[in-house]
Amino acid sequence: MIEEKIPNPNGELIETEISMGTVHPAALEPYRVRFFVEDEIIQEAEITIGVNHRGVERIMEGLPVEKANALTEKICGICSNSHTWNSVLTAEKGLNIDIPNRANYIRVIMGELERLHSHLLYLAHGSEVLGHETFSMRIFYIRETVMDLLDMIGGNRVQYGVSIIGGVRPRCELNEMRILKIETGLDQLESDITKFAERFKADPIVNSRIDGVGYLPPKQARKLAVTGPSLRACGFDYDIRTEMPQYDDFDFEVISLDTCDVKANLLMRVLESFESIKIIRQAIKNLPKGPIADRTWEMIDCDIIQSYIEVPRGICYHSYALENGRIRGSVIRTPSMSNIAAMQYAAIGNHITDGQLCIVQCDPCFTCTDRAFEIIEL
Amino acid sequence: MSLKSYSRQRAIHVMLVYTGGCNGCDIEIVNAVLSPKIDIEQYKVFLTWNPREADILVVTGPVTYHNKEPLLKIYNDIPDPKLVIAAGSCALMGGVYKNIHGDIPSEEIEGPVDNIIPVDAKVPGCAVRPQDILAGLVSVLPKLLNAD
Repeated sequence: MIEEKIPNPNGELIETEISMGTVHPAALEPYRVRFFVEDEIIQEAEITIGVNHRGVERIMEGLPVEKANALTEKICGICSNSHTWNSVLTAEKGLNIDIPNRANYIRVIMGELERLHSHLLYLAHGSEVLGHETFSMRIFYIRETVMDLLDMIGGNRVQYGVSIIGGVRPRCELNEMRILKIETGLDQLESDITKFAERFKADPIVNSRIDGVGYLPPKQARKLAVTGPSLRACGFDYDIRTEMPQYDDFDFEVISLDTCDVKANLLMRVLESFESIKIIRQAIKNLPKGPIADRTWEMIDCDIIQSYIEVPRGICYHSYALENGRIRGSVIRTPSMSNIAAMQYAAIGNHITDGQLCIVQCDPCFTCTDRAFEIIEL
Repeated sequence: MSLKSYSRQRAIHVMLVYTGGCNGCDIEIVNAVLSPKIDIEQYKVFLTWNPREADILVVTGPVTYHNKEPLLKIYNDIPDPKLVIAAGSCALMGGVYKNIHGDIPSEEIEGPVDNIIPVDAKVPGCAVRPQDILAGLVSVLPKLLNAD
C-alpha cells in the first residue's frame, strides 16, 4: 500500500491509496489500478495501461493489405475474428468489392459464435471475481461447446482467420455435416445457458453480492461514450448491428436493461447469448448457395477508409489508406478504450472488495486497448 | 524416488505470467488448468499467482519493453528448483510482432523469452492448444522431480 495524496473534487485530500499491478493475481492482464479510499469506500479510481504496447499500427504501416489483415487478428485473442472482419471490410469498402452472400453469412455465423464465446468468458471471469468458482467452472464447460464449433469451422481454437478480402477462406466452407454439428451444438448451448441463467437468478448469495454494485448512471454512461453491452445495460438500446448492412437479413432484438449495475451487466450477456443463437439459427437455415469468395477484384489506391462494426465488447473502428496495395496511416480503436472511463467511474462509492468486480463489469480487454495515442493541443 | 520428489509430485504449482501477447494463449492455459474439460488439476497440477510457491513458470507473450522487469523479478522470486515453459509462438520467437513488419519494425519487443530467462520447454502454437500445454508440462516433470 502506497500513500499518496490526490485532490478530490471537494478540494480535500484523500490520503490512502491501494494500488494493484501491474502484475497482480486478481487481474489476468497486466494493468495498473489505483483506488483512493476513505473508510474502505472507494472515492476515486485510476486505471493506467500501456504495459502491453506492441505497436501493431506501426508495424502495419507499409505492409501489403492481405498480410496486414492477418496481423490485425493478433491484436486480441478474444475478439480476433472481429478485428480481421473489420479490417477486411475496410479494404472492401475502399476497393468496392461486393462479396458473395454466402461468404457474408459465414462471416456473420463466425461473428456471432465469437460473441457467444466472449460473453461466456465474461460470465466465467465475472463469476470467478465475485467469488463463485462453481459457476465459473460451469460456464467454462458450457463454453467448450462454442470452442469446438469455432475449432471445426476455423481450424483453430483462438485465431481462426476466416475472412479474406473478397470472401472467406476455402477451409471455412459449411457443408451439411458442419451445419448439422452447429445445430446440435446450438441446441445444447441453449439448454445449458437457460439452466445456468435460472440457477444464477435464483441464487440469493450471488444476487446479494451483485445487486446495486458498480452503479453507472445512464447520463454518465452517455457522457463517457461507453459502448457495447455496458451501454445497453444502462438503458440505451443502441446497437450498431441494426445499422450494419451485413445484418440486414437477420431478425434480432436489441436488449437493454435499466438497472445499470453488475447484475444488469451479467444478465445482459446471458440475454444477448440467446439473440446470438437466434441469429446463427437464421443464418444456417437460410444459408444461400454459391461461391464463398470473389477473387476477381483489382487493387487501386484509395484515400482514408473508415469502418465501424459491433464486436462483442462494443464498437470497433478500423481505418487506413491504401497506396500500391500497402497500408498507410492505420488507426484502430477498440471498445475498451472508451469503457475504461466507465470502469473508473463505476468503482466510485463501492466497497474496496467490489473494486475489481466493478472493473470487470465493463468487460475490459486491456491487451487490445494498448494503442499508442498522442493528444495534441490545437 | 526420494520423499521430497514423491511429495512434490503431488502438488505441482504452475504460475502463469503474461508478457504482452494477444490474450489468446493466456485464456487457453487458464482454461486448460481450470475448465472441467481438460482439467489439468486432476493430475495434481495447480494454478497459482504467487511466485514464492510456484514450481513451474509458464510465460506467454513476446515480452514487451515494460514487462521485462516484472518478468525478471518474478523469475528471481521463484524458489529453486524452478522450470520455465515458454508457451505460444510469441514466447518462442517473438511471434508476428517481432517478425512481421512493414516500413518500421516494432521497437517494443524485448523477447523472445529465451533472451531474458532460461527456458526448459517450448510449447508451440498460435494460440497453444490445451493438450499441448499438458504435454509440455509432462515433458519437464522428470527435471523437476529429479532435482534436489
